[in-house]
Order: sequence, then structure tokens, then C-alpha cells
Amino acid sequence: MKNEEIVEKEKTPFREFWESFRANRLALVGLGIVFFFIVIAIFAPLLTSYAPDSQNLADRLLPPSASHYFGTDDFGRDLFTRVVYGARLSLWVGFLSVLGSALIGTFLGIVAGYYGKWLDTIISRFFDILLAFPSILLAIAIVAILGPSLQNALIAIAIVNVPTFGRLVRSKVLSVKQEEYILAARAIGMGDTRILTHHILPNSIAPVIVQGTLAIATAIIEAAALGFLGMGAQAPMPEWGKMLADSRQYLTDAPGTLFFPGFAIMFTVLGFNLIGDGLRDALDPKMK
Amino acid sequence: MKKGLFLFLTFLLALSSLLAGCGDDSNKSNSGGDSKSGGTLVFARGGDSTSLDPITSTEGETFRVTDNIFENLLEYGETDTTIQPSLAESWDVSSDGLVYTFKLLKGVKFHDGTEFNADAVVYNFDRWMNGDVDKFPYYTMFGDFKGKEGAVIKEVKAVDANTVQFTLTRSQAPAHPVGTGPFQFVEWKESDKIVLKKFKDYHVKGEPKLDGVIFRVIPDNSARLNALKGGEVDVIDGLNPSDESKVSGDSSLQIIKRPSMNVGYLGFNVETKPFDNKLVRQALNMAIDKNALIKAFYAGQAIPAKNAMPPSIEGYNDAVVDYKYDLTAAKAKLAEAGFPNGFTIDLWAMPVARPYMPEAQKVAEVIQANFKEIGVTVTVKTEEWATYLDDAAKGNLSMFMLGWTGDNGDADNFLYTLLDKDSIGGNNYSRYSNDALHDILIKAQTESDPAKRNDLYKQAQVIIHDDAPWVPLVHSTPLMAAGENVKGYVAHPTGSESFKGVSLK
Repeated sequence: MKNEEIVEKEKTPFREFWESFRANRLALVGLGIVFFFIVIAIFAPLLTSYAPDSQNLADRLLPPSASHYFGTDDFGRDLFTRVVYGARLSLWVGFLSVLGSALIGTFLGIVAGYYGKWLDTIISRFFDILLAFPSILLAIAIVAILGPSLQNALIAIAIVNVPTFGRLVRSKVLSVKQEEYILAARAIGMGDTRILTHHILPNSIAPVIVQGTLAIATAIIEAAALGFLGMGAQAPMPEWGKMLADSRQYLTDAPGTLFFPGFAIMFTVLGFNLIGDGLRDALDPKMK
Repeated sequence: MKKGLFLFLTFLLALSSLLAGCGDDSNKSNSGGDSKSGGTLVFARGGDSTSLDPITSTEGETFRVTDNIFENLLEYGETDTTIQPSLAESWDVSSDGLVYTFKLLKGVKFHDGTEFNADAVVYNFDRWMNGDVDKFPYYTMFGDFKGKEGAVIKEVKAVDANTVQFTLTRSQAPAHPVGTGPFQFVEWKESDKIVLKKFKDYHVKGEPKLDGVIFRVIPDNSARLNALKGGEVDVIDGLNPSDESKVSGDSSLQIIKRPSMNVGYLGFNVETKPFDNKLVRQALNMAIDKNALIKAFYAGQAIPAKNAMPPSIEGYNDAVVDYKYDLTAAKAKLAEAGFPNGFTIDLWAMPVARPYMPEAQKVAEVIQANFKEIGVTVTVKTEEWATYLDDAAKGNLSMFMLGWTGDNGDADNFLYTLLDKDSIGGNNYSRYSNDALHDILIKAQTESDPAKRNDLYKQAQVIIHDDAPWVPLVHSTPLMAAGENVKGYVAHPTGSESFKGVSLK
């Protein structure tokens, strides 16, 4: 019995990570917040009896009540419904744009770090050029070329975030490449592709996960900013940033129209940031 | 006064802004007389002027500034569209109505010090008459350019230094800037501000009272109101109707209501699909809830429109029955037109607050929701104001929102200017062409009996209603706001006014 208990307590890497993460209360709060928004996004149609874009001009700018939990906006649309459906758009843009930039960034980073030489020079200079622009400005420029829509905002945000991932992976690959097990793998005749996918990639991925979580937070803010500027989601989409832009003139008459979408943005971003910080603490060997 | 005379005088008014060559010696005027300080008034508006040469524009934001720099031979009454002397102190009309002789005011100087005389008037009319469509989009007001068939003016000549004579081809029933107006041009920073200063040698004694006027551009309606509240600006255009109670409840502010003489509409380019089909246009006419729109985004400061001209103008046809808001009937009509499942289209909405539509983007969203009900999927689009007007004039926008504020209070200035086939490429953004309508409108221009003339315009409105090149949306009462220290500001129904009687207390 005693021996078995000892075996059970032996920690796998994931278990080790989870215990470290769990000890971080703020990270758990972040996880809770994000989980909450994911749930309301998935079950949005069950939470409300209104459609997000059904107008009722007779009931505009109503204060919160039992029939409209958050009140109504200037088109008489139910604000609660719009905020809840807005979670779908924001999380969708956040996840998808980060997935895109992480995939492209990781690929370019591995290629640059592993093969080096002229490939590294080209890719790294490309990253430098992208990083030379303030990110929101670059996103605006890209949307200006592609035309304003939520999908193009998503593409713009993905492109803007590519160099962050690329540089991170490249520097990690440069150090992993020097490890003795890579030399050993090469000595027994393992090919480049197999070394990359079986050794370099798994050992370089931890910082990408941390960066990815933090980048979702940034992406959600950038999507909201583009929506606010009229370059992201288009009417009548219930995108939080657009909702803020559309109702800023009602700041004094109907503060709820700004308050609720504003807080929704704040809490999701806070949630992802807290998780990101927790992940970094749990995954970074230097922090232990 | 005969209608024909009225209209002819009216067109002189609208386009006779007097321009002379830009002087290099503008410093001269700085040395002039008194130095009593009247303060500089800051006027905030939603969009920048598209030009400062009034004869190249038909756009209200241009006239708002040029009305202060230039003067006309004649002017309107303070709050109405009666004809009053301005640079012309008197005028005579020959018995056949074809020769008009104007006696000019003496001792009037341009901002650069040049004397105003008959030659200056002739120069200006020649400049206009020898122009082309690109330079002078408002040509329809005079029929056509010189030598062309439709041209109204045959000749303008200086009889002596202070007398100008206009000879017409037919009696007509319905212009760095230097002028003779109360203010002179200082600088124009595009999309930011236009600065004017007092013209010290202005020919009316004691005017202007202000030291200068600055026209600032603040696109957002609520930001503009905040600038007024913060004391950054003195007068604002385009007050959101929903903010009216905020302003009237504030003792440091005042509301200025502009008498209504406009129409805001949704236009269809009838040359493009699917709007080449009359049934589609009629169906969409049934699908917009104008009353709800007015309640929500005009705070009641508008009436629903059923004709292309406002009811305050003579010849308005009240017998026209508006398409009833009825989604089922609209859907049936659309099916009859061959679109049982609707279609997808872009809706262009103005980027700036206009007197006839202070919140175009919001109105567009309501129309979007209304059309969705009958299966028409709409994407709301917008672009910079000057480009917007340009694209509309070229026929690049197939469904767009726009409007018109009357220049002279005459039916011709709405129906002929906006919907006659002669105006295609100009203000007929719908590119609507109907020969029967054209005949009626031309006949009305030369008809001197007011009753018969009104009757012709009533017929015209029936034709327009049936062909439905627009969905006429509203006739609004445009709201402005000012600090309570602004005195003597009288808003004119035409949408722009000179600030010569205005003072700051």
C-alpha cells in the first residue's frame, strides 16, 4: 500500500504544471472568468428570448428592468442579448486570430531558428519591419486595404501578431538546437523533419502557449478598437467595440449602453491576462 | 411680383457671388480704420467645405462660409425667401421679361481694395457661362452653358460703371477667394478650420460686429455639443434632436431652430440593377417605417416625407398618398418584381451630419433592419464626404442616402434640380429620366400664372411618386445650438447665412 501511494504521487509534467498553476489564485480567477464567457457565448440563444439585431424603436434607451436585464440601446435592441452574443464575436476573433498568428509565427520562427543563414536573415528582417509599426496602426492599414469587416479585422490582427510569436519561437529554437539530445538524434541519423517535429517543436512550445493566452487578450482589445473606429464589425453585428462607438453619445442619457459592453471587454481581457500570467509562472523554470 | 421675375432674381442671387482675381496686395486692408473689438465667433460643424469657390459647388458647407466672403446682387429676407436689394440697389425689367437692368451700389470695395463695378459683374457671369459641367455643377439653374440650346442668359453687358444689363433667351422661372462680403478670407486648413476676419472697408456701416469667424470641423455630433458646453466654440450646427432638452435646460446655452425647407431621402440609381425595375423601388417605398424613424432619430423635429419637396413650398401636392408602411405588401411587390427572396445590396450613408439628417448612420441601420424584414440584405457603407458626393454624381452609388435644402423656396429648385433629366450628372443622383416629367417641369419654368404653375408641379409630383426614384424620408427642422452670449443669429431656411448682424456679448 505504501509503495503504491508513493508511485501515485510521482508527478507527471502536466500534474506538476497544474499544481503550480492551481496555487496561483489569481490565475484561477482568470480561468473562471474565461470559462464563464465561453459558456455564455455557447449558450447565448438559451439565455435570452430576443434576437441581437431585432429593433424596436418604440422601446429605445430603456433602463435595465426585468424584461431587459441591461436595458435597451438606441434602436430598442435588448442590450443583454447583444452583450451575450457579442461574447461569441470577441472570443471567436480572439481565438482564431491568435491561432492564425501562432501557427504562422511558429512555423517561420522554427525555420529561421533551425536553418539559420539567409533564411533567418530574411524572416527576421520581415519581423523587424512588421514590429516597426505600432500594432493598431498596422491593423488599421491592413483593414483599409482589405475593406472594413470583422473577418478582415481578424486577418489584420493575426498578421500584426505574427512577429511576436516568430521571434519567441526563433530564440527558443536557437537554444534548444544546442542541446545534446539534438546532437544525439542527428548522430543516429534522424532527418531534419523528424528532429523538428519530435524534438525542437515540443521543447519550444511552452512559451507559445503563454504568449498565446496573453495575445488573445490583446486581440480582443484590438478587435474592439477596430470595431470602435468603424473598421471592424459592421452594423448590425453586436460587437462590443462597435456597441461602445454607437452609444457614446448616450453617455449621460443611458450610461448602461456603454457600461455593459465596456465591462464585458474589460473582464474577458482581464481573464485572459490573469491566465497568461499564471501560465508563465507555472511553465517558466526560472520562476520555480 | 411675377413668378418669372421672382425666379430670375432668385437665380441671380444664388449664383452671382462676386469674385475678382486674388489680390497680392491683401496687406492694404490691414492698415484700415477702427479697432473696436467684437470678438471672434467659432462656428462648429460636421463636415468641411468642399470648395471656397461658390460657383463650383452645390454643397451646403461651402455656402455656409462663402456667404460671409461674397455678396450677391440681391439677397433674401432675413428669414424668408423674398427678394431684397444687396449689391444692386434697384432693378428694372423690360415689358417682355427678357431684359433686366441692375443699378449697382456705389463705393463698394473688394477685400483686395478693388472697386466693385459693372465690369466685375460681367466678369463673373462670363466666367460661369463659359464653363463646363465639371467646373460648374449647378449649370441646370441657368438652363445650360452659353451658346447651348437650353441657355437662359444670352448676354450680360456693362451699360456704364454702375449699371449691368442681362438679356435672356427665354423668360426664366426659376456663384485665394476675394469678395465684397463682410468677412475676408485668412486661411483654410482642410478638414480642420476656415478662418475669416472682419473686412474693415465693408460697405454697410457698423457691420460686421464680429472681429472674425472661424469655421471648425467637428464630425461627431456629441463631441461638437461638448465643445460648445466647454466654451471651445460659440455656435454649433447639427445638434442631435435627442440633445435638445439638454441644451434648452442649460441657461448658458440657446437653441436656434432653422425654418424647415428640406428633404432627406433614400435614392436609387435607376440605371443600375435591381433599381431599374419600378416595382422594386415601389416595394422598398413600402418597407420603411418613417414615423418610427422620426420619433427615434429626429426627436419629433421632422415630418414624414411623401413628395420630393417640402409642404412649405408652393405647389406641394398634398393629395399624393404616400406608400403605406406594410411589410407584407412590400414583400408581395418584391415577389411581383421577380425577387421573391429579396437581394443583397450596399446602402451608402453620409459620413457627416446634415440638416435634413443629423444621424445618417443610425437612420441607415434602421433602414437595414426594415429591409431585412422583406429579405433585402443591406451592408451599410460610407466614405469621405467630398468623395461621397462625387461618387453619387457619377452614378457609382446604387442606393444612397442624401437630401437637399432649398436654395430659393421654389418648387423648381427641388423637382427640376433634383429629378429632371437635365440634372443627371449634377444633382439628379438617381439618374432618373422621364420625358413627360421633363416637359411639365420646363413648361412650369415659363408659366407665369401661379395657379397654373402650381398645378404643373402637382402633376409632376404624381409622376415622381409613381416612378419612385427615391424613398422620400423626412422634412426636418434643423437644430443648432449656441452660447447665450451669441446675439442676432438668425438661421435662414436656405441653410446658410451671413454673420454680419451677429455679435458676441
